[in-house]
Amino acid sequence: MSQLIQLWNTVYAFLGHDVTAGVIGLLILLAFIPLHVVFLVWFEMKVCAHIQLRPAFMEVGPHGILQNLADGIKMIGKDLITPKLADKFLYFIAPIVIFIPAFVGYIVIPFSPNLLIKDINVGVLLIFAFSSLTVLSVLMAGWSSNNKYSLIGAVRSVAQNVAYELPLLLSTMSVVIMTNSFSMREIIEAQSPVWFVVYQPVAFILFLISTTAENNRAPFDLVEAESELVSGFHTEYTGMRFGLFFLAEYTNMVIAASMATALFLGGWRGPFLPGIVWFFIKVYFLIFVVYWIRWTFPRIRFDQLMNFAWKVMIPVALLNLIVTAVVLKVL
Amino acid sequence: MKSSSSGSFIKYILDILIGAKSLAVGMVVTARRLFKPIITVQYPYQKLTMTPNFRGHTELIRFDDTQSHRCVACGLCARICPSHAIKVQGEKDKAGSPKTGFRYVIDFSKCSHCALCVDLCPEQTLTFSKDYELVFYERWDTVFDLTARLENRS
Amino acid sequence: MLTIKTIDDSNIHQRVYQLNLGPQHPSTHGVMHFILTLDGEVVVACDPHIGYSHRGHEKMAENRTYEQYLPNPTRMDYLSGLIFNYGYCQAVEKLCGIEVPKRAEYIRVITSELNRIASHMIGIMDFVMGLGAITPFVYGWDDREQILDLLEMVCGSRLTYSYGRFGGVRNDITQEFYDGTRRFIDRMRKRLKDYHDLITGNIIFIKRSENVGVLSKETALEYGVTGPTLRGSGVPYDVRKNEPYSAYPEFEFEIPTREEGDCLARYLVRMAELEQSLNIIEQALDRLPPGPIRADVPRFITPPPGEVYFSFESARGAVGFYIVSDGSRIPYRIKVRSPSFSNVFVMSKICPGHFLADVIAIFGSIDVTVPEIDR
Repeated sequence: MSQLIQLWNTVYAFLGHDVTAGVIGLLILLAFIPLHVVFLVWFEMKVCAHIQLRPAFMEVGPHGILQNLADGIKMIGKDLITPKLADKFLYFIAPIVIFIPAFVGYIVIPFSPNLLIKDINVGVLLIFAFSSLTVLSVLMAGWSSNNKYSLIGAVRSVAQNVAYELPLLLSTMSVVIMTNSFSMREIIEAQSPVWFVVYQPVAFILFLISTTAENNRAPFDLVEAESELVSGFHTEYTGMRFGLFFLAEYTNMVIAASMATALFLGGWRGPFLPGIVWFFIKVYFLIFVVYWIRWTFPRIRFDQLMNFAWKVMIPVALLNLIVTAVVLKVL
Repeated sequence: MKSSSSGSFIKYILDILIGAKSLAVGMVVTARRLFKPIITVQYPYQKLTMTPNFRGHTELIRFDDTQSHRCVACGLCARICPSHAIKVQGEKDKAGSPKTGFRYVIDFSKCSHCALCVDLCPEQTLTFSKDYELVFYERWDTVFDLTARLENRS
Repeated sequence: MLTIKTIDDSNIHQRVYQLNLGPQHPSTHGVMHFILTLDGEVVVACDPHIGYSHRGHEKMAENRTYEQYLPNPTRMDYLSGLIFNYGYCQAVEKLCGIEVPKRAEYIRVITSELNRIASHMIGIMDFVMGLGAITPFVYGWDDREQILDLLEMVCGSRLTYSYGRFGGVRNDITQEFYDGTRRFIDRMRKRLKDYHDLITGNIIFIKRSENVGVLSKETALEYGVTGPTLRGSGVPYDVRKNEPYSAYPEFEFEIPTREEGDCLARYLVRMAELEQSLNIIEQALDRLPPGPIRADVPRFITPPPGEVYFSFESARGAVGFYIVSDGSRIPYRIKVRSPSFSNVFVMSKICPGHFLADVIAIFGSIDVTVPEIDR
């Protein structure tokens, strides 16, 4: 036992505080996030089912909580098929490339006043930079599958993601201008009497719409539109590779919701309960709103999507930014 | 498109607002349904009762006067069945007496529940049961012997 | 040394590519096969291939007697199965000159209209599901479930009915059916408001379906399109009004028609038809006469030699039964004119120029039942 403590001390002294905190934090997240995602999938299916007036699963575990865990275990056991003429290297690394950057974003999210892996002073930019890598992975997956449906889906996705980056950044800029910093911790600390959603309701709505579009969730999910393209860019993927795409989508959604709570809804601020509980309540509320939108509306067509981004969202975001800057300068 | 005059700009803003309102109205509809009770029936734990007219598989009626069916093996049902699913055999106990059906076999995998045999029987001895949980392990089990079933039902 | 490779454009001959909207696809309702020629995402040509569900119903008619053929028309278009069943009975009655009692005609009209509402629930909601909204589809099935329960009280089956007979119907309606239908009419009128809130006013839905798949009046008449697809293009033709049969002349109802001819117009025509069907059912229930439910018909009918063409309106359009009889108990030939066969080929005329996403929307709005195309 004492030898273990000695080993630990040497490692700690060698690597330094930051790196060990980062590594341990990432390891904990690596264990925690897939379970969290499994719970989120269960939550989505239950919301979907109760909107449609039916109970979803009731068999495996009480109210079906263990159903998705069973699905995950089944998915691990499936056959990994590669199409004959697929581009093997790209086909292999596409699911990996989409999954890993999602984790990096968790480094800077403050779950509570003390639980923060590392507070980088460009935290917001870090999250945006890494979540933009998903575009590359989607394109790799669509191209290497040697399937026309996948290619159509991937090409749509590139244009969609690039178009919706701009309103996302512009609405975040409105908050950043108010606090003069990119660091997540300082943004939350600056929201002490009043949350930023009161000052910037338009930016909040724009942010929500843009992250829904970035994650390829309905009503912008024409990338993986089930009615048209069978399954879009992940048609040809089986087993755990498909599982990785699936996990990555929900992980990105959690990061987006966490960013929205940190930027607009005050992060871990709240009266009686501890910080982390308030954080998760707000994150789940936003995710519930995303699910609610998904199961109500039809899908937008591709050219209408681009029209909406370039002709409606970006002018409104720019107008919001200009008004914020003017008001801050005048007052 | 919609840029130059201020009239079309105001129309542009109004279009966005009206569109947003329609989306909110739709979300209210789904939210109201979210809190209503579920309407499905959890099958193995809860079962529905069938209406009196429900068409399960056919069966022979037990009449009080003979304590058995009234089938006379006329063969009308076998001739009218579009899927040729019925076979009837009858016997006479002596010459000049009416026939009695002693074996009535129906291949249920071919039956289409058209009710032609039930309507056509001159003795009105056929009816539909309310049985819908019919599952089999082998193909041969779908052949029912209705006279044997009638005796087992007593 | 950097060599720059340029692509020799003269070797590339093909710019368009072909995509199979294959027989197996999540949103073609049945096994329908389209070969689309696409340029990027824009459709250049659309070619429907049919025949995957051919079961030989017309050949079966040559080997069965008239009564034995009764289960078959229901299976042709299973969504309006009861209407087909009655239509076949009415064709044979026209051939033999049998007169149907009044009560049977009224019962036929009530159950036909219930079946029409059930079929429209699937047709409309399949269109909306093709656009991506899955929830209204499930709500539509809830309403359809009520109708199927009502029809089970009377007919005994939920989808494959064999209830009409030559000369009337098989058994009478019960008081439970009568009360249940009254309750259903009230409930359905309230639900229609929910559907209009959720779908019709929705801006995403309007943008997806307005000016998409415009079918002009001339094209529709050229291809022989009937049903709500035709009425959405401005032609007020409905067999129930133009060539009345059964008890329809005694009821007051309108034929909803719209001028634009796009997907939104066809959707609105179907929703308006739902309300008209509810009106017809209410009038029929109010005036239901007592009496026999079946005319006196011999057990095995033998029609006189001759031929008859009888057309009626199913949920998809005008159906026609053409029966040739040579005097025996087995028909010589039964030919069925199905509306989906004429409606689906309009796709090759109106799809070019639209996006891939619109092809699904247009196909859903035409409301085709694939087994009816190839009987």
